[in-house]
Amino acid sequence: MRFIRQVILAVSIAGMVAGVLRRRTKGVAATQQGGWQKVTPQR
Amino acid sequence: MNSSIGIIGHGITSQRAAAVLHTAGITPRITHVRNATELFDCKVVIMANGSPHALLVSSFVAQGVSVVSASDNLADVLALTDLDASAKNNNSVVVAGAACSPGMSGLLVRHMARAFESIDEVHTAVHGTGGPMCARQHHDSLGGISVGWHDGEWLQRPAGSGRELCWFPDPVGARDCYRFASPEPVLMQRMTPELHRITARVSATRRDRLTARLPMLRKPHAEGLEGALRVEVRGVRNGRRHVEIVGIVDRVATVAGVVAAHTAHALAHNNIAPGVHTLGELALPNADILDAVTNSGIELHQFVGTE
Repeated sequence: MRFIRQVILAVSIAGMVAGVLRRRTKGVAATQQGGWQKVTPQR
Repeated sequence: MNSSIGIIGHGITSQRAAAVLHTAGITPRITHVRNATELFDCKVVIMANGSPHALLVSSFVAQGVSVVSASDNLADVLALTDLDASAKNNNSVVVAGAACSPGMSGLLVRHMARAFESIDEVHTAVHGTGGPMCARQHHDSLGGISVGWHDGEWLQRPAGSGRELCWFPDPVGARDCYRFASPEPVLMQRMTPELHRITARVSATRRDRLTARLPMLRKPHAEGLEGALRVEVRGVRNGRRHVEIVGIVDRVATVAGVVAAHTAHALAHNNIAPGVHTLGELALPNADILDAVTNSGIELHQFVGTE
């Protein structure tokens, strides 16, 4: 019983931390259209 | 005084720098930081050990020795820039932040600026770490305070905030990047005072951010195997807004070692004004150093398209 309570507590804390992190970071998801080309620096 | 080049540190960056110098026909004297005084008779010393560097650099400067520092620690680099007067008095040249970011990023900005009439924004992002000391610095830098240049003001924000999805050249691809305690904006603003906005970000996982304020949970890897740098420059070309993005993909320690080695070579073979400089400043032969870096196998990739 004690083990189950500890697991539930750990999962709850992890969920709360993940929730806080997700709320704090309002990231801007950029979409890429194009690609990378190798270039040689020209003088 | 002879024309020899010394290297402090026995890590991966030091080994890569030594390999580059060997290729150029120079045999550097490599020593541990506790025996640094053995290099007081060198012309140029590369500091490739873990930070802090400022105290030891001041000793070299007092001896008239030029120094290339690969430190990417914000406080350390700020302390290095304070040595400017001392370096001028002792006829010594100090290049602060000669690694990947800062370092390679400054070279790229100077190169990319030629495609513009004027530039006003620089945004850099780096992925990966070099050796163990670099990994520790990456860990610590996500737990501190980041600085950014925004319309003439220094903004301080918590490191680990400001998530942005940044695209690096393949095979690294898209990574979530965050603000971090990097000296990049300080050196970039010093190099190009006309810039209005400068940001620096680093890729990190959720675990990196969650544990940033704790001691490292496990010993860092001997070397980060995958690394990348991306530099975005915005400005005006032909009277219109224009954006250029250039990136590189290579091991961070390799990039840092190559950049530090070629910077030291340039210092040893050019007459550069004494003082503290950063790569990309007009006082340095940036085009020569960038050519040498690319000839050492670091490939540049330009992003073509829209983001």
